[in-house]
Amino acid sequence: MKVMGIIFANDGALDALTNNRTTASVPFGGRYRQVDFALSNLTAAGVRHIGIISRHHYQSLINHIGAGEEWGLELEEGGLEFLTPYAMSATDSYRGKLESLYSAMNFLTYGDEDEYVIMTGSTILCNIDMKDVLASHIASGKDITVVTKTGIANGEKKLDLALKLDKKGDVADIAVDYAASADYLASMDIFVLSKKWLANQVREHIARNLFHMDRDLVLGLWQKGEVSINVYQFPGVVLYNESVSEYFNNTLALIDSKTRRDVFGYNHPVFTRVRDRVPTYYGETSEVEDIVLADGCMIEGNVKNSVLFRNVTVCAGAQVEDCVVMNDAVIGEGAKLKYVILDKDVTVHPGAELYGAPNHPVIIKRGESV
Amino acid sequence: MYFQKKRCIAMLLAGGQGSRLKVLTENTAKPAVPFGGKYRIIDFPLSNCVNSGIDTVGILTQYQPLELNEYIGNGQPWGLNKTHSCAQVLPPYERHDKKSGWYKGTANAIYQNIDFIERFDPEYVVVLGGDHIYKMDYSAMVDYHVKNGASCTIAVRNVSLEEASRFGIMNTNPDNSVYEFEEKPAQPKSTKASMGIYVFNWSTLREFLIADEEDPNSSNDFGKNIIPNLLNAGHKLMAYEFDGYWMDVGTIQSLWEANMDVLGKEPVFDLRGTKNATIYARNNALPSSYIDKDANVVNCFIAEGSEVYGSVRHSIISIGCTVGENAVVEDSVVMPGVVIEPGAIVRHAILGENSRVGRNAVVGGAFKPKDKKKISVTSKGAVVEANTVLLPGDML
Repeated sequence: MKVMGIIFANDGALDALTNNRTTASVPFGGRYRQVDFALSNLTAAGVRHIGIISRHHYQSLINHIGAGEEWGLELEEGGLEFLTPYAMSATDSYRGKLESLYSAMNFLTYGDEDEYVIMTGSTILCNIDMKDVLASHIASGKDITVVTKTGIANGEKKLDLALKLDKKGDVADIAVDYAASADYLASMDIFVLSKKWLANQVREHIARNLFHMDRDLVLGLWQKGEVSINVYQFPGVVLYNESVSEYFNNTLALIDSKTRRDVFGYNHPVFTRVRDRVPTYYGETSEVEDIVLADGCMIEGNVKNSVLFRNVTVCAGAQVEDCVVMNDAVIGEGAKLKYVILDKDVTVHPGAELYGAPNHPVIIKRGESV
Repeated sequence: MYFQKKRCIAMLLAGGQGSRLKVLTENTAKPAVPFGGKYRIIDFPLSNCVNSGIDTVGILTQYQPLELNEYIGNGQPWGLNKTHSCAQVLPPYERHDKKSGWYKGTANAIYQNIDFIERFDPEYVVVLGGDHIYKMDYSAMVDYHVKNGASCTIAVRNVSLEEASRFGIMNTNPDNSVYEFEEKPAQPKSTKASMGIYVFNWSTLREFLIADEEDPNSSNDFGKNIIPNLLNAGHKLMAYEFDGYWMDVGTIQSLWEANMDVLGKEPVFDLRGTKNATIYARNNALPSSYIDKDANVVNCFIAEGSEVYGSVRHSIISIGCTVGENAVVEDSVVMPGVVIEPGAIVRHAILGENSRVGRNAVVGGAFKPKDKKKISVTSKGAVVEANTVLLPGDML
């Protein structure tokens, strides 16, 4: 079965964390970038032709992915394609997923017509068996499969796409940008469609100035009775990193062993770009509890309930609690941090104190010193 | 096929058994033995090559090569998989003229791969061992070799006079040219011990390898035959002094010691990459490590994919290990994939890859300087059953 993958790299915003990078290249979980999950999910299922659609700030993404060798995508045939924008007729960039697919029509229509397409975003993270999703799509005979998660809708969180099923399991309601009640399923922003059907829909929608995937293609066609929808319910852990506080809480959720094991290897390993760092060293004065951390760190202070990325230095007497600390940070002697996200290359001078709140972590921007 | 001419290539001798590492090399070639939490011994000479600008490396394998071959693969972790670079595994092979078969000695191993070397038409060939832990810039040694107009340059380090009778010793003139080579001399005249790192003019080495092969009495060894033959023929040999960290990890004791040397805030041997001195390793797709709230970790390395619930002091916990609740690990080298179950106590030990220490089992005893050789060792995949004891110095 031939399948191609499409990953959307700018499908959300995480405040200061996405000022200069795509959501796909936001660091996550100590040694990963968010896009690693989509790439690993697709390649583990044997997908060997993947397009990455990005709208802006894609330098860090290209640096991270390179030729795709870490995911086995440096191939003669297929492999990885960056689909960066070029000027559209009416706008300076894409207005929605359908418009970006329209400008990537050469990619979309490359190869055999009978292929399938798996589309995925890069803000909703999970470790999912895409082969099973594809098999479900094919067995259903429907036009489109929407991968969903139960338990996300709670009447407060605004969902991009929410679906309600009737007793028979058919779609009873669809809502877009809607704080759906708990009986709705939340879309995981993963769709399976046939390439031919998708390409045709993209042309038809763009011709009518419709460009929104969820609103126009899913909801619009469903209301007109012009699409059949297969709903796939994923049982595993799903991390919706759609706001800074969600990103922060989901990162700290990795301290829980069950969540961590589910996300990093329930179905397959998550691959990422390798950086050759030595193992993390814990000094004589280190005191740590409940931490997840990557290689290359030097820990001599106190670290509690936190996630540390590569090459972080925590000096003696520093106290780091409930924090997310990205690569190459240096936290000086006696500094105190609680509810803080340090972006890459941040220096916290000795004795400095930074406090956020559980629902509102302080973000220190990349390269700054405090 | 087109081969880019190279000024200098390296040949890495990785075929030895390493029998003094005992159970650790029962099923693994010595160069593939894990080191420092996430490395294998061969990462050091390979990374040194890359950091020295040598991008063509022939790796001679013979003993238990499966794991080593897998590990080297296409050389990608060291950046040796590019259009004009390679990490080529060279096993012994059969030839029409019967001048083939197992590698009889270090010189014979290179002799059998003359064709490989000739493809690159090099001026200089660096010959390296695959069993030493060190960081060295081979290009500085090649420059020294060229500047002195030598046919062969041998890296040496100063050892104590007592130690000197355990090594191959270079007796040198004041300008560091070598007038005599003595293998393990009873009465050493010099303390310059060979490190088993050679730079040769390829044309000279080629000639001597062919002559050596014709000699039925030769043991086809660099130290025993090629070096003395070069000296006898009047070739200029230079000793290149190296004073950085270097450890022959050929014994359980030295392997343990070298691992301990990477620990500390200012370690005896710093693994951290300064510019152009990063040690590269094949990377496993393992998640970040996890340290539990009841864990206690002091003066130790903990590599990715490990989970620590117990207490770890002055030890190396390699990739993908688990240290259970209330378990204690002290003064030990825990190799990749080891599981130490809750309540187990591991002291002054080397735990081989994927071995397992059962609940409340005890491995080894507290480190005492006078018993520093009494290291307990588990082989790959060994299981220390729950509630049992592996005595200090015992192997399983």
